[in-house]
Parts: sequence; structure tokens; C-alpha cells
Amino acid sequence: MAEIVAAALTAHAPLITGKPEIGDPGQRDRLYAGFREARRRLLAARPDLLVMFVNDHLQNFAYNNLPAFCVGLAPTYDCPSEGGAKLMRITPRKVRGNPGWAMGLLEAGLEAGIDFAYSYEIESWDELAVPLSFLMPDDETPIVTVYTNCAAPPLPSPRRCRQVGAFVGDYVRSRPAGERVALIATGGISHWVGTPETGRINPEWDRRVLDHVVRGDVEPLTGLTWAEIERDGGNGGQEIRNWIALLGALPGRRGEVLAYEPVPEWITGCAVAWVQP
Amino acid sequence: MTPEISYALNKLLTDIARQHQMRESLTDAEMAGHSLSDAERLALRSGDIGRLYELGANPYLIRRVFRRRFTI
Repeated sequence: MAEIVAAALTAHAPLITGKPEIGDPGQRDRLYAGFREARRRLLAARPDLLVMFVNDHLQNFAYNNLPAFCVGLAPTYDCPSEGGAKLMRITPRKVRGNPGWAMGLLEAGLEAGIDFAYSYEIESWDELAVPLSFLMPDDETPIVTVYTNCAAPPLPSPRRCRQVGAFVGDYVRSRPAGERVALIATGGISHWVGTPETGRINPEWDRRVLDHVVRGDVEPLTGLTWAEIERDGGNGGQEIRNWIALLGALPGRRGEVLAYEPVPEWITGCAVAWVQP
Repeated sequence: MTPEISYALNKLLTDIARQHQMRESLTDAEMAGHSLSDAERLALRSGDIGRLYELGANPYLIRRVFRRRFTI
């Protein structure tokens, strides 16, 4: 069977790369060091494919068509797309998709009762471009994306996100031996974006989330309601659904925090964590 | 419990966000043809980000379109 060889959880706030100069240099350096360490481990694991648990910010899915879960079948992803490049200050590049692998996941999901939507064209923003600008091992390793609605409520429940993640993990393990797959989930932790509380961060809640990651105990996270997350982690905190999906794919595996910095200027509790695959 | 949203408001803001345009406020011409309430038109015309949130605009869209109205 194929192997999950690496797993990382990271923030994806656009200002991490877009305005590195406005953050406290100490915080910036520690966070960047965390990303570098994750990259080092990812390279050492020699993945053939990155499966990315990410979310849209309404650039693809608007209120006329909002999938709870969507598998990306795109042959390539602009990382970032033209509109986001300036904001994120990332030189756009093409990252390869793997439509064949993604189609296999999609079909297996539909067969098993995981009713994924799918999309042949995805405009990528910070959810892919920011973490990949740090982590991407090379320009050849393809990605497969699983988009979860974290931005336009009502959202899928954290419990369902764990089930979807568990399904993805099982699907990887059902693949032929020799395949080496890395899992990466991006988003969170606490941040308030566009709301009257924009700029607020809740480090106490972030540390609680990270504590569950470290202990490999996803259960308390899956029990959270939308309202609890909104109250303690903000609308951006809803993105921990991506993390929960990844943790669902690796039940009981312990995590390690490589960096955590609540950076006010980047309006985000920024974390990089590793999960034992 | 899902917060109430305004589909009309989000439809218009999505259109503008997808043109990668940032605004201080919107003009009547841009709002033409959209079934917005008077309160929504007023909030868009004045770029009142707090009011737009109260009226059910998605905060990510508020941030995208009215980025310059935020102090942080």
C-alpha cells in the first residue's frame, strides 16, 4: 500500500509573505524558521504527491454555488493567481495538479458516500500560494486539493471534516505500494478578517488547538460548534476544519509545534506544526 | 445557527472582488440592476464596513473590496 510519509499544518495568511516588514522581526524569523524546518522534513520524506486540505475565500465558490467539499481536478494551479500575486508578493508560478489521482479520490469518495463536488479550474489564493512558497520541495511534485467550505456559513461540521479526512487517509493507503504522499492542511489558527473585530487574535485558544494537535487528540476539536469557533477563533478560525481533516487521516498521531507566533500585524495566530505520519 | 446573509450584497461584492478591484465606496451606477435595500445602498455608498457586516455581507468580501477602509 501507498504510504503517508509526511504531514504538516500551517497558517496561510497573505500578509505572512505580503508584508513581512511590518511584523516584529523576531516573530517573523521564528515563524519563517518553522516553515524552513517543515520544508526540510518534507524534502527528507521524498513525497511524490502533496494532498492539500485547504479552503476557498469566495474567489471560486460564491453564494450561487457553494460546495461543502470539493476535489480539485485542475491540471495546474497558478500559485497564486494573478489577482493575489501583488497582495502576497509571491511571484506567480504554475504548480502541477494530478487530475488522474484526484479523479480516483473523487470516484472512490462518491462510491463510499462522501459526496465531493469537483472542479476542473481553481483560482488559488493564499490557501495554496503562501504555504507552498515556503514548503514546495520542487517544481515537479504535483498537488491534489480538497477544498472545504470554511468561509461562507453554514459550514460542514468539524466531525464531518474528520470523516472526510479519514476517508482521504484510507484512500491513500489503498493506493499501490511505492507511492509516497504528504498531507498538508492550511489555515487558522485564530483570526478575525473583515469583521468588526478585524485584527483580533486569541493566543489562548490557539494554544489549546495546538495542544490537541501535540497530543494527537482530535476529538475535542471535532466537538466544537460553528458558534464556539466563531467566538474564540474568529471567522478565520473556522479554517481549522482543514487541520481537523488532516488529523482525521492520521488518527492518534502526535504533533509537534515548529512555530507559533500570534502576529498582530498579520492579523493571525500563525502556526507551523508537524504531525507524525 | 447560521447568521443571516444578504445574497444581493454578496453577489455584487463577489463581482467586484473578482475584478480584483479595491474601493473606498461604490457608486450608484455600480449598484444599478442589483436588488439591494436602501440600507445596503447607503452602506455601500459610504463604504461603511461595520454596517455591511451587520447587513449580512461576507467579511472576506468586505475585506477584499474595502481593504483601504481597514486600519489594520
